[in-house]
Amino acid sequence: MKRRDFLKNLSLSAATVAVIPTMSFAADDKPKASNALAYKDALAAITGGKTPEPSEKVSLKVPEIAENGAVVPVTVEIDYPMTDSDYVKAIHIFAAKNGNSRCIDAHLSPANGKAMLSTRVKLGETQEVIALAELSNGNFLIASQSVKVTIGGCG
Amino acid sequence: MSKSKTLIKIKPNTYKNGDVVKVSFMVMHPMETGLRKDKKTGEVIPADYIKSAKFEYNGKVFTTMNIWETLSVNPVITTYMTIDGAGSLKVTFTDSKGTVEESSEEIKPKG
Repeated sequence: MKRRDFLKNLSLSAATVAVIPTMSFAADDKPKASNALAYKDALAAITGGKTPEPSEKVSLKVPEIAENGAVVPVTVEIDYPMTDSDYVKAIHIFAAKNGNSRCIDAHLSPANGKAMLSTRVKLGETQEVIALAELSNGNFLIASQSVKVTIGGCG
Repeated sequence: MSKSKTLIKIKPNTYKNGDVVKVSFMVMHPMETGLRKDKKTGEVIPADYIKSAKFEYNGKVFTTMNIWETLSVNPVITTYMTIDGAGSLKVTFTDSKGTVEESSEEIKPKG
């Protein structure tokens, strides 16, 4: 191989190397978790098509402005008796715009004594946090609040 | 993460039979989403998060949870439980890598 050809090849291969990473980076622009489920689908999967009723009995405590989206405290409390015949069967927490909107499902029983669930979630951007309560009589109660996120928590 | 540590807290400290108390579980876990990249190597960090949790009181399961990677690092989960006699409270976590972690706390009601 002549010196000129060698240099030509070298510059060509360098060019391809430079191009490939940017292309793959562009493809990874919005990566999604393998188990990602959008909010509407996640809600339909739980309610089975029933329309949840917005209720003041569900109190959802989330900060209105979250400085750090990686740690957002969420507390859900439901003003509902926990007797053997009438109780809150489950509490679900969703983050509407996250890649995977599901955060946690807690399946409760009358032995809990009080329907309450508190945890901390990651929020990727400014969005609504939703609490859904499943009652033992088959009805659903819902409450939501929007949270302004100044620094994203995902990725 | 190969080993996680679970801390169980009951509030208030002293309780008697029939009381409804707050129980918190804190787990040391990275809760990796599988979307983050290592800043040094540029490689994607594989997903590693707690998938489910089960709470047992004297051998009886009273709460189960499905958990996803959307929960923050080192999750703290709080709920309530009714004190019903002395015994043990057991928490079992399973993560996406299949690691099962158990932790238990003695329940000693006064009066």
